[in-house]
Amino acid sequence: MMRKIILPTILAVLGYGFWLSPDFKVITAGVAIFLFGMLALEEGFKAFTGGLLEKLLKRTTNKLWKSLSFGVVSTTLMQSSSLVSVITISFLSAGLISLTAGVGIIFGANLGTTTGAWLVAGLGLKVKISAYAMPMLVFGILLIFQKSKELKGIGYVLAGLGFLFLGIHYMKEGFEAFKDTIDLTAYAVEGYAGVFLFTLIGLFATVVMQSSHATLVLIITALSAQQITYENALALAIGANVGTTITAIIGSLSANFEGRRLAIAHLIFNATTGFVAILFIYQLTAAVDSVSAMIGIANDNYTLKLAVFHTIFNSIGVALMLPVIPAMVRFLQRVIRDDKASETSMPRYLNQAATGLPETTLAAVRQETLHLYDNAVGIIAGGLSLKLDDIHGSQPLEEVIFNSRNVIPTNIDQQYQDSVKSLYAAIVDFSSDYQGAMSSSQVEELFRLRAAGRDIVEAIKDTKHLQKNLSRYFLAENPYIQHEYNTIRMRLASVLRELHKVRNKKGNDSTIILSLDRLRLDMEEYDQNLNQSLSSLIRQKLINGPMSVSLMNDSGYASDVTRKLVMMGGTLFSHSDLTVKNIEQSLSLDDEELSEMMREQQKNAQRNRSDA
Amino acid sequence: MNIKKLIRKAEVMLQSEEEARKDKKIQIKKIIRKLRKHEKKLKHEYTECNDFEESRQIKQEIALAYNQRKKGIKMLKSLKKKK
Repeated sequence: MMRKIILPTILAVLGYGFWLSPDFKVITAGVAIFLFGMLALEEGFKAFTGGLLEKLLKRTTNKLWKSLSFGVVSTTLMQSSSLVSVITISFLSAGLISLTAGVGIIFGANLGTTTGAWLVAGLGLKVKISAYAMPMLVFGILLIFQKSKELKGIGYVLAGLGFLFLGIHYMKEGFEAFKDTIDLTAYAVEGYAGVFLFTLIGLFATVVMQSSHATLVLIITALSAQQITYENALALAIGANVGTTITAIIGSLSANFEGRRLAIAHLIFNATTGFVAILFIYQLTAAVDSVSAMIGIANDNYTLKLAVFHTIFNSIGVALMLPVIPAMVRFLQRVIRDDKASETSMPRYLNQAATGLPETTLAAVRQETLHLYDNAVGIIAGGLSLKLDDIHGSQPLEEVIFNSRNVIPTNIDQQYQDSVKSLYAAIVDFSSDYQGAMSSSQVEELFRLRAAGRDIVEAIKDTKHLQKNLSRYFLAENPYIQHEYNTIRMRLASVLRELHKVRNKKGNDSTIILSLDRLRLDMEEYDQNLNQSLSSLIRQKLINGPMSVSLMNDSGYASDVTRKLVMMGGTLFSHSDLTVKNIEQSLSLDDEELSEMMREQQKNAQRNRSDA
Repeated sequence: MNIKKLIRKAEVMLQSEEEARKDKKIQIKKIIRKLRKHEKKLKHEYTECNDFEESRQIKQEIALAYNQRKKGIKMLKSLKKKK
């Protein structure tokens, strides 16, 4: 309802303003060009955010001060706290960073955004930036038409900067011309009433434009043309700071619970900072005066003083909120709960916010497939009549198998329906919907992840086939068949244990991922040995015909489970980047190469025996 | 960061097909090196291992690392040929 009223009202006010004053038209056109420049700039930076940002985020968010610095530096470079907060929500939703790291980045972005005021007040108003805008636009647009993703990105950044400069130029011109016809300072309001009124105006303007940067530039250009008073400009800047949280709030609407927590943290930070700034506005103004005098800013240079004010009040906000971050994170975790955590079949990472970048989309699919594996591995363990905790524990597997002499009733079909099928379907749907913007290597990785999901599902189905005879024979009176089936349980349990180890190994590099091939080799060897021992068991009439047929089929199922889980592990547990992951997959030995290797080993062993 | 590294980073930014291939070659070399190191470490473990089952597993892993390394060298050669 509100939306239906707000847009026509804004359009009507703008239309009336255009009719009333051509200068107003120039100013608003300047804002529109500036906002368009921001969009182009964001588009451009997205081309570079790929692997580089992912790597940077992983390295720079393990400590709070690092996250904070990351927020400051990235926002200073990209000149858009909105882009940084949206990217942070994407990474958080995809499970790539923790909430504390996300909060650190957002706080840092608040500090980083203050550099914008310095740039505009310090450079934008003193230099004729429109002269730089024209060549930037020409080169930028030329590069946008190039095929290379990187050149296109540079083109968008150049064009974006060009539009930003052009927008500032028009805003400046508009206010200069406006000065001759109307004096807006006549509408200035003094005292706390003015502070509250102009804070609200700043907040509203930022909510509408969804860019505190644009509001701030508007304030600075208006201030330089003396169309607003210095005191009212300070209040407008406070409002812009609170209003900027709208971008994160909108971004979090499509995010999971973590994204919503981050948006609320952002709101708490900016609202508290704004409140403190309003409360101590006169003390802050005095502080700005002394700092300005200290760094050589003239007393009447209000635009630069505004930049000083913006920096001081955001720094105070960070200093105030930094010590309470852990408490804030705990509070948010208590207030905004993960409703889906109890429902194992519900996707946890697949949400709209995670699709902001191809990398976050991939990360979300990977995390969700790991979630699928977590659900599946419990079913597989149950199918083997073993407890997952025992398999993942440190007790020798021989003991685990020996101690687990009861059938654990596991309805694989039911559990598959309850916690796997719909989750797998969600992964397939999600990965089909969001592969458009991906590069060929990213699409390849997406397919691999989907194949890993399929391997998990098929491993469950193979376990189901295996379960029927296994439950019957691992406790059978015939010690020979009992031994053979317990060997199968042992083999599969060792596969699950090894996968668990590899998954949790810190810094699991390519050699560890490639060493998973040993599990397949083990199973292959076991298959060969089984063929020999099976013939001897049948010959000596130690097991009957139906038993031998079951054993042959079930060892086949066990091999399939192993192969599928190892392939899945190679894809899901590797932390390498896409190029290295591709190489890992190519270096992993296929079935034929494994058989060839075994033949080679056997030949060597025979040669050694004959030599001896 | 030394100049050589900086140049390589700049090259990757402008990633043409040739650059991607160069990057792939460098990564393969790195993995081969890691595999060789891993193999050495395993050989050392093998000589000190007394447990039958464990030494059988280590032996298998040595053979695997060797074969994977050989496969990597083949890949590297075919990439060089393509040039």
